[in-house]
Amino acid sequence: MKKLELGNILIHDVQFSNEGSKVENGVLYVNKEEICKIALEDENIASCEVFLARPGESVRITPVKDVIEPRVKVEGKGGIFPGWIAKVDTVGEGRTHVLKGAAVVTTGKIVGFQEGIIDMSGPGADYTPFSKTMNVVVKMEPVEGLKQHEHEYALRIAGFKIACFLGELGRNVTPDEVKTYEFDNIVESAAKYPNLPRVAYVQMLQSQGLLHDTYVYGVDAKKTLTTIITPTEVMDGAIVSGNCVSSCDKNPTYVHMNNPVVTDLFEQHGKTLNFVGMIITNENVYLADKERSSNWSAKLAKYLGCDGVIISQEGFGNPDTDLIMNTKKIEAEGIKTVIITDEYAGRDGKSQSLADADPSADAVVTGGNANQVIVLPPMETVYGHLEFVDTIAGGSANNIDAHGNITVEIQAITGATNETGFNYLSAR
Amino acid sequence: MVKEIERAGLPVVHICTVTPISMTVGANRIVPAIAIPHPLGNPALTMEEEKHIRRKIVETALEALETEVDDQTIFDVKY
Repeated sequence: MKKLELGNILIHDVQFSNEGSKVENGVLYVNKEEICKIALEDENIASCEVFLARPGESVRITPVKDVIEPRVKVEGKGGIFPGWIAKVDTVGEGRTHVLKGAAVVTTGKIVGFQEGIIDMSGPGADYTPFSKTMNVVVKMEPVEGLKQHEHEYALRIAGFKIACFLGELGRNVTPDEVKTYEFDNIVESAAKYPNLPRVAYVQMLQSQGLLHDTYVYGVDAKKTLTTIITPTEVMDGAIVSGNCVSSCDKNPTYVHMNNPVVTDLFEQHGKTLNFVGMIITNENVYLADKERSSNWSAKLAKYLGCDGVIISQEGFGNPDTDLIMNTKKIEAEGIKTVIITDEYAGRDGKSQSLADADPSADAVVTGGNANQVIVLPPMETVYGHLEFVDTIAGGSANNIDAHGNITVEIQAITGATNETGFNYLSAR
Repeated sequence: MVKEIERAGLPVVHICTVTPISMTVGANRIVPAIAIPHPLGNPALTMEEEKHIRRKIVETALEALETEVDDQTIFDVKY
């Protein structure tokens, strides 16, 4: 049996400190110089600024590169973000401390498209989960002439390093709550729960190329075959985000670490179902890759003896085909599926929601219509670069009026229609 | 676009990477392309190799145009 304890240190405020960074009485104290020193270790990063953004403040963060939760491994093998910050030991066992309620948000001019908005107050705040976190905003700019892939890499790694530095501050803090996640091997769980339906989670990972990539233990997901990962591994940062374009339905690293499909399946494990494991599969741009990866999803779901699977998509457009291929092929093995996706049904909601469809995809959970239009009033402070807001996905030319109101589709808002359910849209 | 042009009486070949979507939307003659970011080329190849695959795709598409079909048909390119 595998067991991971998550010790949540509840963070209710974030403050700057001229002394060393620390966590004390639920307050995260951040020393700017310490953060910038970490960012500037990378010779490809020319400048670094640190800001704090708290819920309710008149603050807009854009473009958002990534959102990362500070965590530290205090017991057990390996460390947070294996393959990047820690070595590649298999993680997901022992004990991990979490600065719950805090987040690192990376910003700065980003390669190509400048995407993702987090408003800390106003109507936009209702659409992003990261308006509720105490955010340490790190704005980094690259050295001149840095190539796109190196730029993306530099920002991504700096975010992980800073999140780990902050997480480390919680190593010796007594957590406010400890959550335990236990995971049996398939033989043990079959013996324990012979009468419960066997359910797996198929997580589709965005893997279409620059700014659309996801990494598993340091490996680019587009170069992977569909595989099995134990669900506690993701809580230690085994899967990380390299993507932020059309940010409404991309998973920032924070979402991978807190995947609600995983935690909800754990919640039901041994009660209404037997959570047998997690299959991760990619969304590549070649048809043969799509065919191969979905063939392997179906093969592994059958191999795990599943009665049902939950499939979550990441992104939209051609990944709709990966989603439908996974669904069709898994259903063809006699396994029931529920898919979690979002919709691009036009501003009036009347268009076809997905680019592909099949009668077997008859149980669908939606994260919402990403084309829904919202007016975001001006904020007193903007961290990042507001000048790009008319060229982002979901934006349009001259979409800022004389009063500073921005008219955008909610696809511009980080996490608005998240396809793991890590969002707030609901039909209720 | 494929369907509207065909409705006007002209046969159409849809060259596209994600052929399942082309099937879903109802194209009748489909030729698979290379990849979504570069449907008619491959930056990993030399110029000569790229020209070869481009010619093959276009020739396959022209053959598809001349072929009578009773149902939706995918014409695989023989590189």
